[in-house]
Amino acid sequence: MAAYLTHQQKVLRLYKKSLRHLESWCIHRDKYRYFACLLRDRFDKNKDVKDMVKATELLKAGEEEFWANQHPQPYVFADSPGGVAYERYEMYKLPEWCLDFWHPSEKAMYPDYFAKREQWKKLQRESWEREIKQLQEETPADGPRTEALPPARKEGHLPPMWWHHVTRPREQPM
Amino acid sequence: MDLSLVLNTFMLLTLTTLLTPIIFPLLSDNLKNTPTIITNTVKTSFMISLIPMTIFIYSGTESLTSFWEWKFITNFKIPISLKMDFYSLTFFPIALFVSWSILQFATWYMASDPYITKFFTYLLLFLIAMLILIIANNFFVLFIGWEGVGIMSFLLISWWHGRAEANTAALQAVLYNRVGDIGLILCMAWLASTMNTWEIQQITTPTQTPTLPLLGLILAATGKSAQFGLHPWLPAAMEGPTPVSALLHSSTMVVAGIFLLIRTHPLFNNNQTALTLCLCLGALSTLFAATCALTQNDIKKIIAFSTSSQLGLMMVTIGLNLPHLAFLHISTHAFFKAMLFLCSGSIIHNLNGEQDIRKMGGLQKMLPTTTSCLTIGNLALMGTPFLAGFYSKDQIIECLNTSYLNSWALLLTLLATSFTAVYTIRMTVLVQTGHVRIPPLTPMNENNPAVISPITRLALGSITAGFIITSFIIPAKTTPTTMPLYIKITAMLVTVLGILLALEISKMTQTLILTKQGHFSNFSTSLGYFNPLMHRLISTNLLSGSQNIASHLVDLSWYKKLGPEGLANLQLTAAKTSTNFHSGLIKAYLGSFALSILIALMSTY
Repeated sequence: MAAYLTHQQKVLRLYKKSLRHLESWCIHRDKYRYFACLLRDRFDKNKDVKDMVKATELLKAGEEEFWANQHPQPYVFADSPGGVAYERYEMYKLPEWCLDFWHPSEKAMYPDYFAKREQWKKLQRESWEREIKQLQEETPADGPRTEALPPARKEGHLPPMWWHHVTRPREQPM
Repeated sequence: MDLSLVLNTFMLLTLTTLLTPIIFPLLSDNLKNTPTIITNTVKTSFMISLIPMTIFIYSGTESLTSFWEWKFITNFKIPISLKMDFYSLTFFPIALFVSWSILQFATWYMASDPYITKFFTYLLLFLIAMLILIIANNFFVLFIGWEGVGIMSFLLISWWHGRAEANTAALQAVLYNRVGDIGLILCMAWLASTMNTWEIQQITTPTQTPTLPLLGLILAATGKSAQFGLHPWLPAAMEGPTPVSALLHSSTMVVAGIFLLIRTHPLFNNNQTALTLCLCLGALSTLFAATCALTQNDIKKIIAFSTSSQLGLMMVTIGLNLPHLAFLHISTHAFFKAMLFLCSGSIIHNLNGEQDIRKMGGLQKMLPTTTSCLTIGNLALMGTPFLAGFYSKDQIIECLNTSYLNSWALLLTLLATSFTAVYTIRMTVLVQTGHVRIPPLTPMNENNPAVISPITRLALGSITAGFIITSFIIPAKTTPTTMPLYIKITAMLVTVLGILLALEISKMTQTLILTKQGHFSNFSTSLGYFNPLMHRLISTNLLSGSQNIASHLVDLSWYKKLGPEGLANLQLTAAKTSTNFHSGLIKAYLGSFALSILIALMSTY
């Protein structure tokens, strides 16, 4: 990702922001749906403007209108940054390659895990090429459409980024 | 049979029963605590504490126990003395009943928490500190309880210490309480120096108590009970888990400040200034908190501001010199406020942590018991006739109306009462009625008895507590019995007006007439602009002032003001002034001499 946002990204961010603040203002869903459709129409009317100067001016006017009409207590999902349940449990995990640097006496405290760790690492090294090849084949030319990862397609292959998923931090404490 | 001995024994047994889950695990490795053990301990304590209360109701026995004197200096002895009078004997069962229900609820709410036993131990320690505060006859023991509840509040608010906001909120609570403690210590110092005792029954006032210690007590109550000026910690304290909010910040800890004023009310009797200050401060707090609650969208914050508003009402009662009515309001308020928090906790947990009322709706059909009890609690809060809140709230407003006191305070309190109705109805409409706005596929159920029995028990308490307490307890002062009809029904009228206003505003919201922003709604949403103003202004001024003192003051004082430069400036000013005189105009001088001699000669004739 470069340091700058493209025009498309800025417009889409403005749209999502304004939809969320509209949701904070219009509490009842039918009312919200009506105004959301109106807002979408406002964005859609100017979607084919090819002149970048005019498009940037429209975006600037849109941002100012957003700033004037934003909600003082916007709705934030509980697990999002700024929400009530964000970072409630300290679930950060150190990266798992730190385990390779443990002293043998420390490793001896968890013999079951470290006995199998080498096999898991060998498995990960072997399947890495195949995972990357699958991802490169399956991604469309102008970038991925979604963040979801595809499953394993062939027999005996592992799903892409499986090690990353398996060693992810917990969401709820034990 | 010596009733006072029985009374004493059972009260001390109550306290000791509560101490057992803390002491037994220390004695032996086999005795481990579990949440169920702690809940059952509090339940047993509640049952035991009913006995002294019954003894008091039927025979009026009170008791004053003291043991182990701390022989501080020869003249000033500090016994550990416990007073078992009406206030402590009645509040013990109420606090224990509410705590038992909350602990039972917490076995369900915190079931997925890895350190649930530590949580329950903290709650138990808090309860013990609170009961020590209630039963104290001595400022020393009271201070132990006072600081104890402050520390436990800090530990419990920052239960989820991974969150930065929770840690900030806990620090806020501690700092604001500390500011209040200055007042308490001031009063204790004054008492020690003037009356040579810290016993409450030995405080005999001369004709008029000086205002300074009373100001200290009022400052202590402002800090602990979140009156206006030291109030921001209470909404911020909602960062803690819901059982913590229910126990500490609605029923028990925040009433400690008001309880202190109730205990020391003989001091307040003669000093009208202090009483008026209480009245105005309470009226301001209740209106301010009710205004802030109008536009909140977080269900716990609405109930927190509601608590703050009711605490202001209790302060108004103290200002009217009616401590027993304030105590009645404390007792009834504990029931329905704890129940409101428990219902909101049940809703939050069922919605997977969702606390915003904009994403709740139509819950009446999905959680019938919880929402019915929420309605009962809200009705009791608004002072619906013959529910719990009515007996205390209506009496307070009647006495306020019929007294010859500040009409400004009266107006504010009535306005706050109608606002109470407004935000309560708003909360009810948005949470329980209307179309559903929660994310689809949210499985919710009320099958767990650990949720339903505390809530229904407290609902029963909210309905009957007011009636039961007023039937059995004789009031200390006679409340006015005759008044015109329109004064008698003022509270109800004002509440009904508030309900109508709230319904009108919800209709306006639904039919798209409501404006988005306006001065009043902006004031309410940003909580009166108090937090950013005070937190930033005070800290920047204090810190920059102290930085200037530390770095510049020595140089400034010794070199500039007192030292060489200061002397030089002094000389310079003197020289300049005298130069103005010495303008060198000899003729003017001679003329002025001649004129003055002429006037002197003429005046001698």
